[in-house]
Amino acid sequence: MTRRRGLGYGGIIALILLVMFPFLWLLQMSFKPQNDIFAFPPRLLFTPTVEHYVALWTSQFRASFWNSSLASISSTLLSLLLGVPAAYTLSRATFTGQRHIALWVLATRMAPPIAFTIPFFLAYRQLELMDTVTGLVLIYLTFNLSLVVWMMRTFFDTIPRSLEEAARIDGASTWGTFLRVVLPLSAPGVAATAIFCFLFSWNDFFYALILTRTQAMTAPVAVVNFMNYEGWEWGKIAAGGTIVMLPVVVFSVLVRKYLVRGLTAGALKG
Amino acid sequence: MSTLSQYGAEQGSGVPPRQTRWQVQQRRDLLCGLMPALAVLAVVTLAPAVYLVVTSFTPLNLTLPATAWNFSDPVGNYLSLLRDRRFGNSVWVQFKLSFFTVVLQLLIGLAVAMLLNARTRFVEAVRTTFLIPMVLPPIVVAIIWKVLYTPDISPVHWFLKAIGHPMGAMITSPDYALWSIIIADVWEWFPFTMLMLLAALQMLPDEPLEAARIDGATYWQVFWFVILPLLRPAILVAGLFRLIDSIKAFPLIYILTDGGPGTVTEVTNYYAFVQAFNFSYLGFSSAITVVMVGATFFLSWLVVRMVGTEVEVE
Repeated sequence: MTRRRGLGYGGIIALILLVMFPFLWLLQMSFKPQNDIFAFPPRLLFTPTVEHYVALWTSQFRASFWNSSLASISSTLLSLLLGVPAAYTLSRATFTGQRHIALWVLATRMAPPIAFTIPFFLAYRQLELMDTVTGLVLIYLTFNLSLVVWMMRTFFDTIPRSLEEAARIDGASTWGTFLRVVLPLSAPGVAATAIFCFLFSWNDFFYALILTRTQAMTAPVAVVNFMNYEGWEWGKIAAGGTIVMLPVVVFSVLVRKYLVRGLTAGALKG
Repeated sequence: MSTLSQYGAEQGSGVPPRQTRWQVQQRRDLLCGLMPALAVLAVVTLAPAVYLVVTSFTPLNLTLPATAWNFSDPVGNYLSLLRDRRFGNSVWVQFKLSFFTVVLQLLIGLAVAMLLNARTRFVEAVRTTFLIPMVLPPIVVAIIWKVLYTPDISPVHWFLKAIGHPMGAMITSPDYALWSIIIADVWEWFPFTMLMLLAALQMLPDEPLEAARIDGATYWQVFWFVILPLLRPAILVAGLFRLIDSIKAFPLIYILTDGGPGTVTEVTNYYAFVQAFNFSYLGFSSAITVVMVGATFFLSWLVVRMVGTEVEVE
Protein backbone atom coordinates (compact mmCIF):
# COMPACT_ATOMS: atom_id res chain seq x y z
CA MET A 1 0.00 0.00 0.00
CA THR A 2 2.78 2.45 0.92
CA ARG A 3 4.66 1.53 -2.23
CA ARG A 4 1.60 2.34 -4.26
CA ARG A 5 1.20 5.64 -2.48
CA GLY A 6 4.85 6.50 -3.11
CA LEU A 7 4.37 5.71 -6.78
CA GLY A 8 1.24 7.85 -6.78
CA TYR A 9 3.08 10.87 -5.37
CA GLY A 10 5.92 10.39 -7.81
CA GLY A 11 3.43 10.22 -10.65
CA ILE A 12 1.63 13.34 -9.48
CA ILE A 13 4.84 15.34 -9.24
CA ALA A 14 5.96 14.19 -12.69
CA LEU A 15 2.57 15.22 -14.08
CA ILE A 16 2.72 18.63 -12.42
CA LEU A 17 6.07 19.22 -14.08
CA LEU A 18 4.62 18.16 -17.41
CA VAL A 19 1.69 20.54 -16.99
CA MET A 20 3.73 23.44 -15.66
CA PHE A 21 6.79 23.15 -17.88
CA PRO A 22 5.43 24.64 -21.14
CA PHE A 23 3.76 27.43 -19.19
CA LEU A 24 6.92 28.27 -17.19
CA TRP A 25 9.04 28.10 -20.33
CA LEU A 26 7.06 30.92 -21.91
CA LEU A 27 7.29 32.92 -18.69
CA GLN A 28 11.11 32.68 -18.46
CA MET A 29 11.43 33.42 -22.18
CA SER A 30 9.64 36.74 -21.72
CA PHE A 31 12.44 37.86 -19.35
CA LYS A 32 15.32 36.53 -21.44
CA PRO A 33 17.63 38.86 -23.39
CA GLN A 34 17.12 38.45 -27.13
CA ASN A 35 20.53 36.77 -27.67
CA ASP A 36 19.99 34.16 -24.98
CA ILE A 37 16.71 32.99 -26.50
CA PHE A 38 18.59 31.32 -29.33
CA ALA A 39 21.39 30.04 -27.09
CA PHE A 40 22.21 26.40 -27.46
CA PRO A 41 21.93 24.57 -25.09
CA PRO A 42 19.09 26.66 -23.57
CA ARG A 43 20.47 28.94 -20.88
CA LEU A 44 18.56 28.66 -17.63
CA LEU A 45 20.73 31.17 -15.81
CA PHE A 46 20.54 34.58 -17.41
CA THR A 47 20.23 38.20 -16.38
CA PRO A 48 16.49 38.84 -16.48
CA THR A 49 15.41 41.84 -18.51
CA VAL A 50 12.16 43.70 -18.92
CA GLU A 51 13.15 45.06 -22.33
CA HIS A 52 10.46 43.03 -24.11
CA TYR A 53 7.77 44.35 -21.82
CA VAL A 54 8.95 47.92 -22.22
CA ALA A 55 9.05 47.54 -26.00
CA LEU A 56 5.52 46.15 -25.96
CA TRP A 57 4.07 48.73 -23.67
CA THR A 58 5.41 51.61 -25.76
CA SER A 59 3.92 50.11 -28.94
CA GLN A 60 0.42 49.72 -30.32
CA PHE A 61 -0.02 46.77 -28.00
CA ARG A 62 -1.04 49.01 -25.12
CA ALA A 63 -4.10 50.24 -26.99
CA SER A 64 -5.14 46.67 -27.75
CA PHE A 65 -4.83 45.80 -24.07
CA TRP A 66 -7.32 48.57 -23.23
CA ASN A 67 -9.61 47.46 -26.04
CA SER A 68 -9.65 43.96 -24.58
CA SER A 69 -10.39 45.29 -21.10
CA LEU A 70 -13.12 47.62 -22.29
CA ALA A 71 -14.84 45.00 -24.44
CA SER A 72 -14.66 42.32 -21.74
CA ILE A 73 -15.86 44.52 -18.89
CA SER A 74 -18.71 46.11 -20.89
CA SER A 75 -19.90 42.76 -22.15
CA THR A 76 -19.80 41.30 -18.65
CA LEU A 77 -21.83 44.16 -17.15
CA LEU A 78 -24.39 44.11 -19.95
CA SER A 79 -24.81 40.34 -19.71
CA LEU A 80 -25.32 40.52 -15.95
CA LEU A 81 -27.84 43.35 -16.27
CA LEU A 82 -29.93 41.37 -18.76
CA GLY A 83 -29.21 37.83 -17.64
CA VAL A 84 -29.55 37.97 -13.85
CA PRO A 85 -33.28 38.92 -13.78
CA ALA A 86 -33.96 36.37 -16.52
CA ALA A 87 -32.20 33.65 -14.54
CA TYR A 88 -34.29 34.54 -11.49
CA THR A 89 -37.49 34.24 -13.52
CA LEU A 90 -36.43 30.86 -14.90
CA SER A 91 -35.63 29.72 -11.37
CA ARG A 92 -38.94 30.87 -9.83
CA ALA A 93 -41.72 30.82 -12.42
CA THR A 94 -42.99 27.95 -14.51
CA PHE A 95 -44.53 28.52 -17.88
CA THR A 96 -44.95 26.69 -21.13
CA GLY A 97 -41.90 26.76 -23.35
CA GLN A 98 -39.46 26.94 -20.46
CA ARG A 99 -37.75 23.77 -21.59
CA HIS A 100 -37.34 25.23 -25.04
CA ILE A 101 -35.59 28.27 -23.62
CA ALA A 102 -33.21 26.02 -21.69
CA LEU A 103 -32.45 24.08 -24.88
CA TRP A 104 -31.96 27.26 -26.85
CA VAL A 105 -29.50 28.56 -24.27
CA LEU A 106 -27.63 25.26 -24.40
CA ALA A 107 -27.61 25.32 -28.21
CA THR A 108 -25.93 28.74 -28.31
CA ARG A 109 -23.21 27.39 -26.05
CA MET A 110 -22.64 24.41 -28.33
CA ALA A 111 -22.69 26.17 -31.72
CA PRO A 112 -19.30 26.80 -33.34
CA PRO A 113 -18.35 30.51 -33.28
CA ILE A 114 -18.15 30.75 -37.05
CA ALA A 115 -21.93 30.26 -37.17
CA PHE A 116 -22.29 33.67 -35.52
CA THR A 117 -19.27 35.26 -37.13
CA ILE A 118 -20.48 35.11 -40.73
CA PRO A 119 -23.86 36.84 -40.12
CA PHE A 120 -22.34 39.37 -37.70
CA PHE A 121 -19.58 40.12 -40.18
CA LEU A 122 -22.12 40.76 -42.95
CA ALA A 123 -24.39 42.83 -40.70
CA TYR A 124 -21.53 44.89 -39.24
CA ARG A 125 -20.41 45.92 -42.70
CA GLN A 126 -23.83 47.49 -43.20
CA LEU A 127 -24.20 48.87 -39.68
CA GLU A 128 -20.67 50.31 -39.60
CA LEU A 129 -19.86 48.27 -36.52
CA MET A 130 -16.77 46.65 -38.04
CA ASP A 131 -13.63 47.31 -36.02
CA THR A 132 -15.49 48.81 -33.05
CA VAL A 133 -15.49 47.78 -29.41
CA THR A 134 -19.30 48.05 -29.47
CA GLY A 135 -19.37 45.37 -32.14
CA LEU A 136 -17.27 43.07 -29.97
CA VAL A 137 -19.45 43.70 -26.91
CA LEU A 138 -22.54 42.72 -28.91
CA ILE A 139 -21.11 39.47 -30.26
CA TYR A 140 -19.74 38.53 -26.84
CA LEU A 141 -23.35 38.58 -25.66
CA THR A 142 -23.93 35.42 -27.71
CA PHE A 143 -21.97 33.37 -25.21
CA ASN A 144 -22.02 35.55 -22.10
CA LEU A 145 -25.79 35.97 -21.86
CA SER A 146 -26.38 32.21 -22.00
CA LEU A 147 -23.60 31.71 -19.48
CA VAL A 148 -25.18 34.18 -17.03
CA VAL A 149 -28.65 32.66 -17.39
CA TRP A 150 -27.29 29.16 -16.96
CA MET A 151 -25.02 29.78 -13.99
CA MET A 152 -27.22 32.22 -12.09
CA ARG A 153 -30.27 29.99 -12.35
CA THR A 154 -28.48 27.25 -10.44
CA PHE A 155 -27.42 29.78 -7.80
CA PHE A 156 -30.97 31.08 -7.39
CA ASP A 157 -32.28 27.53 -7.16
CA THR A 158 -30.25 27.05 -3.98
CA ILE A 159 -31.86 30.03 -2.22
CA PRO A 160 -34.94 28.94 -0.28
CA ARG A 161 -38.22 30.53 -1.30
CA SER A 162 -39.42 30.89 2.29
CA LEU A 163 -37.24 34.02 2.62
CA GLU A 164 -38.97 35.71 -0.30
CA GLU A 165 -42.38 34.76 1.00
CA ALA A 166 -41.58 36.38 4.32
CA ALA A 167 -40.57 39.58 2.53
CA ARG A 168 -43.67 39.41 0.35
CA ILE A 169 -45.93 39.13 3.38
CA ASP A 170 -44.31 42.32 4.63
CA GLY A 171 -45.58 43.96 1.43
CA ALA A 172 -42.48 44.04 -0.79
CA SER A 173 -42.93 43.75 -4.56
CA THR A 174 -41.52 40.86 -6.59
CA TRP A 175 -38.48 42.72 -7.83
CA GLY A 176 -38.09 44.66 -4.58
CA THR A 177 -37.77 41.32 -2.81
CA PHE A 178 -35.33 40.20 -5.44
CA LEU A 179 -33.11 43.24 -5.02
CA ARG A 180 -33.20 43.34 -1.22
CA VAL A 181 -33.31 39.67 -0.28
CA VAL A 182 -32.29 37.34 -3.09
CA LEU A 183 -29.53 39.32 -4.80
CA PRO A 184 -27.46 40.01 -1.64
CA LEU A 185 -27.63 36.31 -0.78
CA SER A 186 -26.37 35.34 -4.23
CA ALA A 187 -23.57 37.94 -4.37
CA PRO A 188 -20.83 35.28 -4.46
CA GLY A 189 -22.65 33.64 -7.35
CA VAL A 190 -22.85 36.92 -9.23
CA ALA A 191 -19.15 37.51 -8.63
CA ALA A 192 -18.19 34.06 -9.89
CA THR A 193 -20.42 34.45 -12.95
CA ALA A 194 -19.00 37.90 -13.68
CA ILE A 195 -15.45 36.54 -13.56
CA PHE A 196 -16.35 33.72 -15.91
CA CYS A 197 -17.93 36.19 -18.36
CA PHE A 198 -14.86 38.36 -18.20
CA LEU A 199 -12.54 35.42 -18.81
CA PHE A 200 -14.46 34.08 -21.78
CA SER A 201 -14.52 37.53 -23.41
CA TRP A 202 -10.89 38.15 -22.59
CA ASN A 203 -9.85 34.76 -24.02
CA ASP A 204 -11.73 35.32 -27.26
CA PHE A 205 -9.55 35.24 -30.33
CA PHE A 206 -11.74 34.18 -33.22
CA TYR A 207 -14.37 36.95 -33.11
CA ALA A 208 -11.80 39.69 -32.61
CA LEU A 209 -9.64 38.30 -35.41
CA ILE A 210 -12.46 38.68 -37.90
CA LEU A 211 -14.46 41.63 -36.61
CA THR A 212 -11.60 44.02 -35.82
CA ARG A 213 -8.83 45.52 -37.94
CA THR A 214 -6.79 48.23 -36.21
CA GLN A 215 -8.97 50.50 -34.07
CA ALA A 216 -10.60 47.87 -31.88
CA MET A 217 -7.94 45.17 -32.10
CA THR A 218 -7.76 43.13 -28.89
CA ALA A 219 -4.64 41.94 -27.09
CA PRO A 220 -4.75 38.29 -28.28
CA VAL A 221 -4.97 39.43 -31.91
CA ALA A 222 -2.18 41.95 -31.38
CA VAL A 223 0.13 39.25 -30.02
CA VAL A 224 -0.51 37.09 -33.05
CA ASN A 225 0.24 40.03 -35.31
CA PHE A 226 3.70 40.17 -33.78
CA MET A 227 4.22 36.65 -35.05
CA ASN A 228 3.21 37.52 -38.57
CA TYR A 229 4.67 40.94 -39.19
CA GLU A 230 7.52 41.60 -36.85
CA GLY A 231 9.83 38.78 -37.90
CA TRP A 232 9.64 36.36 -35.02
CA GLU A 233 10.60 38.50 -32.09
CA TRP A 234 10.20 35.67 -29.64
CA GLY A 235 10.92 37.78 -26.59
CA LYS A 236 8.13 40.19 -27.45
CA ILE A 237 5.76 37.37 -28.34
CA ALA A 238 6.45 35.68 -25.00
CA ALA A 239 6.00 38.96 -23.13
CA GLY A 240 2.73 39.62 -24.97
CA GLY A 241 1.49 36.13 -24.17
CA THR A 242 2.39 36.62 -20.53
CA ILE A 243 0.50 39.92 -20.34
CA VAL A 244 -2.54 38.33 -21.97
CA MET A 245 -2.57 35.46 -19.49
CA LEU A 246 -1.92 37.61 -16.43
CA PRO A 247 -5.54 38.64 -15.72
CA VAL A 248 -6.66 35.09 -16.41
CA VAL A 249 -4.30 33.60 -13.85
CA VAL A 250 -5.25 36.22 -11.25
CA PHE A 251 -8.99 35.76 -11.78
CA SER A 252 -8.77 31.97 -11.84
CA VAL A 253 -7.36 32.03 -8.35
CA LEU A 254 -10.20 34.33 -7.29
CA VAL A 255 -12.97 32.40 -8.98
CA ARG A 256 -12.03 29.22 -7.18
CA LYS A 257 -12.67 30.83 -3.83
CA TYR A 258 -15.88 32.51 -4.95
CA LEU A 259 -17.25 29.34 -6.47
CA VAL A 260 -16.75 27.35 -3.31
CA ARG A 261 -18.14 30.18 -1.20
CA GLY A 262 -21.06 30.69 -3.53
CA LEU A 263 -22.07 27.06 -3.42
CA THR A 264 -21.69 26.65 0.33
CA ALA A 265 -23.41 29.98 1.08
CA GLY A 266 -26.50 28.85 -0.78
CA ALA A 267 -26.51 25.47 0.92
CA LEU A 268 -25.87 26.80 4.41
CA LYS A 269 -28.52 29.52 4.26
CA GLY A 270 -31.08 26.93 3.21
CA MET B 1 -47.37 26.49 4.07
CA SER B 2 -50.26 26.43 1.63
CA THR B 3 -48.38 28.63 -0.85
CA LEU B 4 -45.46 26.25 -0.68
CA SER B 5 -47.52 23.23 -1.61
CA GLN B 6 -49.13 25.18 -4.44
CA TYR B 7 -45.67 25.96 -5.72
CA GLY B 8 -45.06 22.25 -5.83
CA ALA B 9 -48.24 21.63 -7.80
CA GLU B 10 -47.37 24.47 -10.14
CA GLN B 11 -44.05 22.88 -10.98
CA GLY B 12 -45.67 19.61 -11.94
CA SER B 13 -48.20 20.89 -14.48
CA GLY B 14 -47.65 23.83 -16.79
CA VAL B 15 -50.44 26.02 -15.42
CA PRO B 16 -51.81 25.54 -11.90
CA PRO B 17 -55.57 25.04 -11.66
CA ARG B 18 -56.27 27.87 -9.24
CA GLN B 19 -54.00 30.82 -8.65
CA THR B 20 -54.29 33.51 -6.09
CA ARG B 21 -54.28 37.07 -7.37
CA TRP B 22 -50.92 37.56 -5.76
CA GLN B 23 -49.46 34.66 -7.73
CA VAL B 24 -50.86 35.97 -11.00
CA GLN B 25 -49.25 39.32 -10.26
CA GLN B 26 -45.95 37.67 -9.37
CA ARG B 27 -45.95 35.64 -12.58
CA ARG B 28 -46.50 38.78 -14.60
CA ASP B 29 -43.67 40.57 -12.78
CA LEU B 30 -41.31 37.68 -13.30
CA LEU B 31 -42.05 37.47 -17.01
CA CYS B 32 -41.21 41.18 -17.30
CA GLY B 33 -37.74 40.36 -16.00
CA LEU B 34 -37.31 37.63 -18.57
CA MET B 35 -38.39 39.55 -21.65
CA PRO B 36 -35.40 41.90 -22.17
CA ALA B 37 -32.94 39.01 -22.03
CA LEU B 38 -35.03 36.89 -24.38
CA ALA B 39 -35.37 39.78 -26.83
CA VAL B 40 -31.62 40.42 -26.86
CA LEU B 41 -30.84 36.72 -27.06
CA ALA B 42 -33.18 36.45 -30.05
CA VAL B 43 -31.46 39.38 -31.78
CA VAL B 44 -27.92 38.13 -31.20
CA THR B 45 -28.49 34.40 -31.72
CA LEU B 46 -31.75 33.59 -33.53
CA ALA B 47 -31.53 36.36 -36.12
CA PRO B 48 -27.94 35.45 -37.08
CA ALA B 49 -28.94 31.78 -37.30
CA VAL B 50 -31.69 32.65 -39.77
CA TYR B 51 -29.35 34.98 -41.66
CA LEU B 52 -26.75 32.21 -41.86
CA VAL B 53 -29.22 29.71 -43.33
CA VAL B 54 -30.52 32.31 -45.81
CA THR B 55 -26.96 33.20 -46.86
CA SER B 56 -26.17 29.54 -47.40
CA PHE B 57 -28.80 29.53 -50.20
CA THR B 58 -27.00 32.30 -52.11
CA PRO B 59 -23.64 32.28 -53.92
CA LEU B 60 -22.62 35.36 -51.89
CA ASN B 61 -19.13 36.57 -52.68
CA LEU B 62 -18.18 39.98 -51.36
CA THR B 63 -16.12 40.83 -54.44
CA LEU B 64 -19.18 40.30 -56.67
CA PRO B 65 -22.08 42.49 -55.46
CA ALA B 66 -24.60 40.74 -57.75
CA THR B 67 -24.24 37.55 -55.72
CA ALA B 68 -26.03 39.00 -52.68
CA TRP B 69 -29.68 37.92 -52.22
CA ASN B 70 -29.47 35.83 -55.35
CA PHE B 71 -31.69 32.80 -54.81
CA SER B 72 -31.64 31.44 -58.38
CA ASP B 73 -29.84 28.27 -57.25
CA PRO B 74 -30.75 27.76 -53.57
CA VAL B 75 -29.17 24.34 -53.07
CA GLY B 76 -26.16 25.05 -55.30
CA ASN B 77 -23.76 25.43 -52.37
CA TYR B 78 -24.91 22.18 -50.81
CA LEU B 79 -24.54 20.31 -54.08
CA SER B 80 -21.01 21.58 -54.62
CA LEU B 81 -20.28 20.66 -51.02
CA LEU B 82 -21.04 17.05 -51.85
CA ARG B 83 -18.59 17.13 -54.75
CA ASP B 84 -15.94 19.17 -52.94
CA ARG B 85 -12.90 16.97 -52.24
CA ARG B 86 -11.41 19.55 -49.91
CA PHE B 87 -14.58 19.52 -47.81
CA GLY B 88 -14.51 15.73 -47.66
CA ASN B 89 -10.89 15.87 -46.62
CA SER B 90 -11.70 18.41 -43.90
CA VAL B 91 -14.36 16.09 -42.46
CA TRP B 92 -11.87 13.22 -42.40
CA VAL B 93 -9.24 15.40 -40.70
CA GLN B 94 -11.86 16.51 -38.21
CA PHE B 95 -12.78 12.91 -37.54
CA LYS B 96 -9.16 11.94 -36.87
CA LEU B 97 -8.53 14.98 -34.69
CA SER B 98 -11.72 14.48 -32.67
CA PHE B 99 -11.23 10.74 -32.26
CA PHE B 100 -7.64 10.87 -31.03
CA THR B 101 -8.04 13.94 -28.82
CA VAL B 102 -11.21 12.65 -27.14
CA VAL B 103 -9.83 9.16 -26.55
CA LEU B 104 -6.51 10.43 -25.21
CA GLN B 105 -8.17 13.07 -23.04
CA LEU B 106 -10.48 10.46 -21.54
CA LEU B 107 -7.64 8.01 -20.85
CA ILE B 108 -5.29 10.62 -19.39
CA GLY B 109 -8.12 12.41 -17.59
CA LEU B 110 -9.23 9.15 -16.00
CA ALA B 111 -5.69 8.18 -14.99
CA VAL B 112 -5.00 11.57 -13.42
CA ALA B 113 -8.40 11.61 -11.70
CA MET B 114 -7.63 8.21 -10.17
CA LEU B 115 -4.27 9.54 -8.97
CA LEU B 116 -5.83 12.66 -7.50
CA ASN B 117 -8.77 10.91 -5.91
CA ALA B 118 -7.22 10.89 -2.47
CA ARG B 119 -8.13 13.03 0.48
CA THR B 120 -4.63 13.96 1.53
CA ARG B 121 -3.60 17.54 1.97
CA PHE B 122 -0.89 17.29 -0.66
CA VAL B 123 -3.33 16.14 -3.33
CA GLU B 124 -5.91 18.78 -2.43
CA ALA B 125 -3.23 21.46 -2.71
CA VAL B 126 -1.91 20.44 -6.12
CA ARG B 127 -5.26 19.67 -7.71
CA THR B 128 -5.76 23.21 -9.01
CA THR B 129 -2.35 23.18 -10.67
CA PHE B 130 -3.80 20.79 -13.21
CA LEU B 131 -6.36 23.34 -14.29
CA ILE B 132 -3.72 25.74 -15.66
CA PRO B 133 -3.75 24.53 -19.30
CA MET B 134 -7.54 24.78 -19.43
CA VAL B 135 -7.89 28.31 -18.08
CA LEU B 136 -5.04 29.86 -20.08
CA PRO B 137 -6.22 31.91 -23.07
CA PRO B 138 -6.26 29.51 -26.05
CA ILE B 139 -4.03 31.88 -27.96
CA VAL B 140 -1.39 31.69 -25.23
CA VAL B 141 -1.56 27.89 -25.29
CA ALA B 142 -1.00 28.08 -29.05
CA ILE B 143 2.00 30.38 -28.60
CA ILE B 144 3.48 28.09 -25.95
CA TRP B 145 3.28 25.12 -28.30
CA LYS B 146 4.57 27.15 -31.21
CA VAL B 147 7.69 27.77 -29.13
CA LEU B 148 8.01 24.08 -28.22
CA TYR B 149 7.56 23.03 -31.85
CA THR B 150 10.05 25.53 -33.33
CA PRO B 151 13.45 23.72 -33.52
CA ASP B 152 15.54 26.94 -33.21
CA ILE B 153 14.30 27.78 -29.74
CA SER B 154 12.56 24.66 -28.47
CA PRO B 155 13.95 22.97 -25.36
CA VAL B 156 12.29 19.74 -26.51
CA HIS B 157 14.17 19.73 -29.81
CA TRP B 158 17.36 20.57 -27.96
CA PHE B 159 16.82 17.67 -25.58
CA LEU B 160 16.13 15.21 -28.41
CA LYS B 161 19.29 16.33 -30.15
CA ALA B 162 21.31 16.02 -26.92
CA ILE B 163 20.26 12.41 -26.44
CA GLY B 164 21.07 11.63 -30.05
CA HIS B 165 17.64 11.66 -31.65
CA PRO B 166 17.43 14.96 -33.52
CA MET B 167 14.04 15.61 -35.01
CA GLY B 168 12.75 17.90 -37.74
CA ALA B 169 9.93 20.36 -37.16
CA MET B 170 6.70 18.45 -36.53
CA ILE B 171 4.34 21.22 -37.57
CA THR B 172 5.67 21.43 -41.12
CA SER B 173 5.80 17.68 -41.67
CA PRO B 174 2.82 16.11 -43.49
CA ASP B 175 3.16 13.00 -41.33
CA TYR B 176 3.34 14.64 -37.93
CA ALA B 177 1.52 17.98 -38.27
CA LEU B 178 -1.83 16.57 -37.18
CA TRP B 179 -0.17 14.82 -34.25
CA SER B 180 1.43 18.08 -33.18
CA ILE B 181 -2.07 19.57 -32.97
CA ILE B 182 -3.42 16.50 -31.17
CA ILE B 183 -0.66 16.61 -28.54
CA ALA B 184 -1.21 20.31 -27.84
CA ASP B 185 -4.98 19.87 -27.72
CA VAL B 186 -4.73 16.95 -25.30
CA TRP B 187 -2.45 19.00 -23.06
CA GLU B 188 -4.90 21.90 -23.13
CA TRP B 189 -8.09 19.94 -22.45
CA PHE B 190 -7.32 16.80 -20.45
CA PRO B 191 -8.01 18.88 -17.29
CA PHE B 192 -11.65 19.11 -18.37
CA THR B 193 -12.21 15.34 -18.55
CA MET B 194 -10.14 14.97 -15.39
CA LEU B 195 -12.37 17.45 -13.50
CA MET B 196 -15.57 15.75 -14.56
CA LEU B 197 -14.28 12.25 -13.81
CA LEU B 198 -12.82 13.34 -10.48
CA ALA B 199 -16.20 14.78 -9.49
CA ALA B 200 -17.84 11.50 -10.46
CA LEU B 201 -15.24 9.45 -8.59
CA GLN B 202 -15.83 11.41 -5.43
CA MET B 203 -19.55 10.76 -5.59
CA LEU B 204 -19.18 6.99 -5.98
CA PRO B 205 -20.94 5.04 -3.23
CA ASP B 206 -18.56 3.30 -0.83
CA GLU B 207 -20.54 0.05 -0.41
CA PRO B 208 -19.74 -1.69 -3.70
CA LEU B 209 -16.05 -0.81 -3.40
CA GLU B 210 -15.90 -2.09 0.18
CA ALA B 211 -17.79 -5.25 -0.74
CA ALA B 212 -15.41 -5.99 -3.60
CA ARG B 213 -12.37 -5.46 -1.41
CA ILE B 214 -13.75 -7.67 1.36
CA ASP B 215 -14.32 -10.37 -1.23
CA GLY B 216 -10.59 -10.16 -1.96
CA ALA B 217 -10.60 -8.31 -5.26
CA THR B 218 -7.28 -6.78 -6.31
CA TYR B 219 -6.85 -3.08 -7.05
CA TRP B 220 -7.18 -3.68 -10.79
CA GLN B 221 -10.21 -5.92 -10.39
CA VAL B 222 -11.95 -3.25 -8.32
CA PHE B 223 -11.07 -0.66 -10.93
CA TRP B 224 -12.12 -2.74 -13.91
CA PHE B 225 -15.28 -4.40 -12.60
CA VAL B 226 -16.63 -1.88 -10.09
CA ILE B 227 -15.29 1.65 -10.63
CA LEU B 228 -15.27 1.70 -14.41
CA PRO B 229 -18.89 0.54 -14.87
CA LEU B 230 -20.03 3.09 -12.27
CA LEU B 231 -18.13 5.85 -14.08
CA ARG B 232 -19.60 5.05 -17.47
CA PRO B 233 -22.20 7.86 -17.55
CA ALA B 234 -19.60 10.46 -16.52
CA ILE B 235 -17.12 9.19 -19.12
CA LEU B 236 -19.79 9.37 -21.78
CA VAL B 237 -20.82 12.92 -20.94
CA ALA B 238 -17.24 14.19 -20.61
CA GLY B 239 -16.39 12.56 -23.94
CA LEU B 240 -19.39 14.03 -25.73
CA PHE B 241 -18.66 17.50 -24.40
CA ARG B 242 -15.09 17.30 -25.61
CA LEU B 243 -16.28 15.90 -28.93
CA ILE B 244 -18.60 18.87 -29.45
CA ASP B 245 -15.88 21.34 -28.48
CA SER B 246 -13.32 19.62 -30.70
CA ILE B 247 -15.39 20.72 -33.70
CA LYS B 248 -14.59 24.33 -32.77
CA ALA B 249 -10.79 23.85 -32.67
CA PHE B 250 -9.31 27.02 -34.10
CA PRO B 251 -6.47 28.92 -32.37
CA LEU B 252 -4.10 25.94 -32.22
CA ILE B 253 -4.52 25.22 -35.92
CA TYR B 254 -4.36 28.89 -36.88
CA ILE B 255 -1.10 29.48 -35.00
CA LEU B 256 0.67 26.14 -35.35
CA THR B 257 -0.01 24.95 -38.90
CA ASP B 258 -2.49 27.30 -40.61
CA GLY B 259 -4.29 24.18 -41.84
CA GLY B 260 -1.17 22.87 -43.53
CA PRO B 261 1.07 21.56 -44.77
CA GLY B 262 -1.32 21.46 -47.72
CA THR B 263 -4.62 20.58 -46.10
CA VAL B 264 -3.26 17.99 -43.67
CA THR B 265 -4.59 19.78 -40.57
CA GLU B 266 -7.50 21.62 -42.17
CA VAL B 267 -10.57 20.66 -40.13
CA THR B 268 -14.07 21.61 -41.29
CA ASN B 269 -14.26 24.65 -39.03
CA TYR B 270 -10.98 25.89 -40.47
CA TYR B 271 -12.06 25.21 -44.02
CA ALA B 272 -15.21 27.28 -43.45
CA PHE B 273 -13.03 30.09 -42.08
CA VAL B 274 -10.70 29.97 -45.09
CA GLN B 275 -13.57 29.97 -47.59
CA ALA B 276 -15.30 32.91 -45.89
CA PHE B 277 -12.46 35.16 -44.85
CA ASN B 278 -9.57 34.30 -47.16
CA PHE B 279 -11.50 33.60 -50.37
CA SER B 280 -14.58 35.71 -49.60
CA TYR B 281 -16.99 32.89 -50.54
CA LEU B 282 -19.42 33.70 -47.74
CA GLY B 283 -22.36 31.85 -49.25
CA PHE B 284 -20.45 28.62 -49.67
CA SER B 285 -18.88 28.97 -46.23
CA SER B 286 -22.34 29.47 -44.73
CA ALA B 287 -23.41 26.15 -46.22
CA ILE B 288 -20.39 24.42 -44.64
CA THR B 289 -21.23 26.09 -41.34
CA VAL B 290 -24.89 25.03 -41.49
CA VAL B 291 -23.79 21.42 -41.95
CA MET B 292 -21.37 21.78 -39.05
CA VAL B 293 -23.99 23.34 -36.77
CA GLY B 294 -26.33 20.49 -37.69
CA ALA B 295 -23.71 17.94 -36.63
CA THR B 296 -23.06 19.86 -33.41
CA PHE B 297 -26.75 20.00 -32.53
CA PHE B 298 -27.14 16.31 -33.17
CA LEU B 299 -24.34 15.61 -30.69
CA SER B 300 -25.81 18.09 -28.19
CA TRP B 301 -29.15 16.38 -28.54
CA LEU B 302 -27.44 13.13 -27.57
CA VAL B 303 -26.02 14.81 -24.46
CA VAL B 304 -29.41 16.19 -23.48
CA ARG B 305 -31.07 12.83 -24.01
CA MET B 306 -28.53 11.16 -21.80
CA VAL B 307 -28.28 13.62 -18.95
CA GLY B 308 -31.06 16.17 -19.40
CA THR B 309 -30.41 19.88 -19.73
CA GLU B 310 -29.02 20.15 -16.22
CA VAL B 311 -25.37 20.08 -17.24
CA GLU B 312 -23.03 22.58 -15.67
CA VAL B 313 -21.74 24.89 -18.34
CA GLU B 314 -18.42 25.40 -16.67
